[in-house]
Amino acid sequence: MTTADVAAAHSAHDHVPEDEHFGSATGGKVAMWMFIAQDGMSFGGLLVAYGILRFSAIEWPVPSEILGINLTAFATFLLICSSLSMVMAVEGAKKRDQKALVRWLAVTILGGIAFLGIQVYEYNHLVHAGIGFAESAWEGQSVNNLFGSTFYAVTGFHGMHVLSGVIYMICILLGSMKGKYTQGGISYSAVELVGLFWHFVDLVWILVFTFIYLL
Amino acid sequence: MSAPDHNHPAPAADDGHEESHVGTYVTVFLTLGFLTIVEVFVPSVYSAEWNQTTKMLLLSGLALAKVGLVGMFFMHLKYEKKWIAWIAMMPVYMGVFAILLMLESVYRNVGA
Repeated sequence: MTTADVAAAHSAHDHVPEDEHFGSATGGKVAMWMFIAQDGMSFGGLLVAYGILRFSAIEWPVPSEILGINLTAFATFLLICSSLSMVMAVEGAKKRDQKALVRWLAVTILGGIAFLGIQVYEYNHLVHAGIGFAESAWEGQSVNNLFGSTFYAVTGFHGMHVLSGVIYMICILLGSMKGKYTQGGISYSAVELVGLFWHFVDLVWILVFTFIYLL
Repeated sequence: MSAPDHNHPAPAADDGHEESHVGTYVTVFLTLGFLTIVEVFVPSVYSAEWNQTTKMLLLSGLALAKVGLVGMFFMHLKYEKKWIAWIAMMPVYMGVFAILLMLESVYRNVGA
């Protein structure tokens, strides 16, 4: 294959033809958005169920009196920081800057791991304080069992997403270290996709933090 | 085949057509941080029983503002074609549908 053939093959793969409806979005990006939309509906279903159970309950504890708001606010801030580092990683990949990509992706992964660490600490603290999945009590007083059930169901489902995101990012990091996503053209799109997933995880947590912890 | 051609390097994704959004990202990040701080103080300021509706509306508004910022800027919805935005809005349609169903249920219970 001549150099010209290679260049032509590259140009065929490096640019997505402009589409009337989706612009220059890759098929992978459209698929990721569809996944995010259906995953968003899963979270929406959980949050709506939480709302119905809570507002139809005769007794429901004030969440901020049981859950550690300051620690969770810090965890929220960590996720926001990791979202910033993720967009910086995508920028690095677009600019074919492998060092920046690897550095920012590693920072994002650390943010995700720190968030999971805080969640494990919080669960451990709550379980020892009497807030279980099936039965709940707080400072010797029994509280609505649904408080613990809904709390662990929603935050646990989100935590699994964070864990999946961290594993996904580690896979992309390994490819980044080999220079797979900084070859120009649309080679960065895998980083963009993991970025979309990670921002979605952050976006959902914003809602979970508000509706489960603050309200 | 997949190795980069050093004589004819593939163009960078931006090709000079896409501008860098780093300044916007930092501004959005700072705004998100600020809104989070405001959120943390809202429950203590509006803790009285008669203030619960204000608290709920305020916190929901702040959360939606933050979600909008993440979606529009970090997830690039602002720069995408409308069809991507329509797909992204699917949970919102379902949410509106769910709220309508709940309101209908509340209305029936009030009437009973």
